[in-house]
Amino acid sequence: MAASLTGLLKPWTPRVLLVRWSRYNPYYLEPGPRKEVYHIPETELTPEQKEERELKSVRPIKAATNSVTSSVFNDPVLSKFVNMMMKDGDKIIAKGIITQTLENMKRKQVEKYHKAPEGKKAEIECNPYAIFHQALENCKPVIGLTSIQKGGKFYQVPIPLTDNRRRFLAMKWMITECRDNKHRRTLMYEKLSQELLAAFSKEGNVVKRKHELHKMAESNRAYAHYRWW
Amino acid sequence: FLHYSLSIALPPLSYLVAQVRPLHGSGCGQQQEAVGMEMRPETFSIFRTQENDPDCQSEQHQGQYYTVPPSHFHTVFPHGLPPRYQQQVKTFNEGCVMVRQPALELISHLKRADYSKPTLRYLLYGVKGSGKTMSLCHTVHYCSTQGWLVLHIPDAHLWVKNCKELLPSSYHASRFDQPIQASNWLRNFRTTNENFLSKIKLRQRYVWTKRESTEEGQPLGELVDMGVSRVKSSSDVVGAVLKELRLQAGGTEGGFRLAVAVDGVNGLWGRTTLKKEDKSPVAPEELTLVHNLRKMINNDWCGGAVIATLSQTGSLYAPSSAYLPQELLGEEGFDSMDPFIPVPVSLYSEKEFESCYLYYLDRHWLQHPHSQTEEGKKELIFLSNRNPSVLERLCAFL
Repeated sequence: MAASLTGLLKPWTPRVLLVRWSRYNPYYLEPGPRKEVYHIPETELTPEQKEERELKSVRPIKAATNSVTSSVFNDPVLSKFVNMMMKDGDKIIAKGIITQTLENMKRKQVEKYHKAPEGKKAEIECNPYAIFHQALENCKPVIGLTSIQKGGKFYQVPIPLTDNRRRFLAMKWMITECRDNKHRRTLMYEKLSQELLAAFSKEGNVVKRKHELHKMAESNRAYAHYRWW
Repeated sequence: FLHYSLSIALPPLSYLVAQVRPLHGSGCGQQQEAVGMEMRPETFSIFRTQENDPDCQSEQHQGQYYTVPPSHFHTVFPHGLPPRYQQQVKTFNEGCVMVRQPALELISHLKRADYSKPTLRYLLYGVKGSGKTMSLCHTVHYCSTQGWLVLHIPDAHLWVKNCKELLPSSYHASRFDQPIQASNWLRNFRTTNENFLSKIKLRQRYVWTKRESTEEGQPLGELVDMGVSRVKSSSDVVGAVLKELRLQAGGTEGGFRLAVAVDGVNGLWGRTTLKKEDKSPVAPEELTLVHNLRKMINNDWCGGAVIATLSQTGSLYAPSSAYLPQELLGEEGFDSMDPFIPVPVSLYSEKEFESCYLYYLDRHWLQHPHSQTEEGKKELIFLSNRNPSVLERLCAFL
């Protein structure tokens, strides 16, 4: 609906329109905080980029959120993880836990690297960001289950998942696992780093949970035709 | 396995240029490492130096890292290093210290001082995280390699706060003893100065209880062992040890030089967070350990040096922006320390920052792909303002 109305909307139309989660008039463009885009000289722009630039000079732009930076170290997946870990809006604590986790992972790996013999050094991955992304990939389920009612009973039917849903499930499982299944005295960052390192090598409870979901979906294959979309 | 060739292709190749450095011939030639280590490749790295002896380091080594030999590490530094640095040593499997201007200045003063005159007191001061404790540790390493007796108090603030057991002193009615802190310190003192414990003989008889006493002429090691085992009288043992060392430091027969290194010296004057049983606050002079340490810092003895550091980090009732001697020591402290030689410790210069950055790259500590680019480096300079500890914390998660 918003797509069809875009042609009719003008800058003077009220900014606030209730469209799903966004309270912005769809006429407003997204902010682009990355600096590299603006450093490309005029001659090297593709036609799409030229069009985009012209559009940006005419249309109003939404305000950027606080979590978005032009820093080269900004990572959207990590920001999403921090937001999911946040409780009561306390992002400082959540970000602190994540930075401690990254440091802890890096320390463990770098220590292993320096003590390893020459041949084994290339196999040890020391980059905590690479480990984090790979671990998350290893935790993402390929297929999900949903409850569909047919003939008075509810069946667990296997369905395909969108990318966003898969990423959300992986992060959610990771966080709940680290919150619930740890010793009272283990700190969150310690448990998170252990789980992430385990998930990186495809071991650990989160990857096990993903495999169990896959097995359930496989066993309920017969009900797949209950899905009508 | 310490390999020095940079494996990451950095744009400025000048870092790998073989620097023609004149080999200084004053008897401190190139140090050959122990036979077990591999021979270093010929590329000179700009951030490391082969000169591992603090005696032979000079201005040309400024900004470069030297390695503390692993054999020295546990004897010279059982306590006293900052906790994050200890973690770093464990991770990198080596202990490297940067040669910086304040430490070089201190060491040159120590080399040229006259030890028959009353002790000189040096005070390291600077903003939070600028490297005061590390400079102190560098100087302590120098004193250790020169054969001095080192009295290293890792943090004087630990003695004026968070004390679980506060016993009334048996020696003096209105003072309080801290058995745990005293026995811990004595244990570390024993590790640092093993070779001196048998050589120094006591000059006085000390009576601990009706049945126990330490006779004149016995070695210092016995006194220290007694203090470690009999925890109740360990604070008095500390006092006795300090007194003996003070008397014997400048002696002509078998004289040794005494280095008193105190970190966070501003904790000795000021307030404590300890309370007596009637909830009234304890003043620092009512603690045996603090009382004896203050006597040590006075310049009424000779044959050594007192090197102190100010510290806001562990201090009590001091605002976080305070870093100057006047602010942190207070009136009483400043009058006791006066006259002293102030040594300011500044943030990293450009050369030192470069060195630190290259060291982290070499040790595979900067893992984020963007942190190895020019953009990332500029961002690090901006975010940390070249403050050593802030840079370390930033690089920890990048």
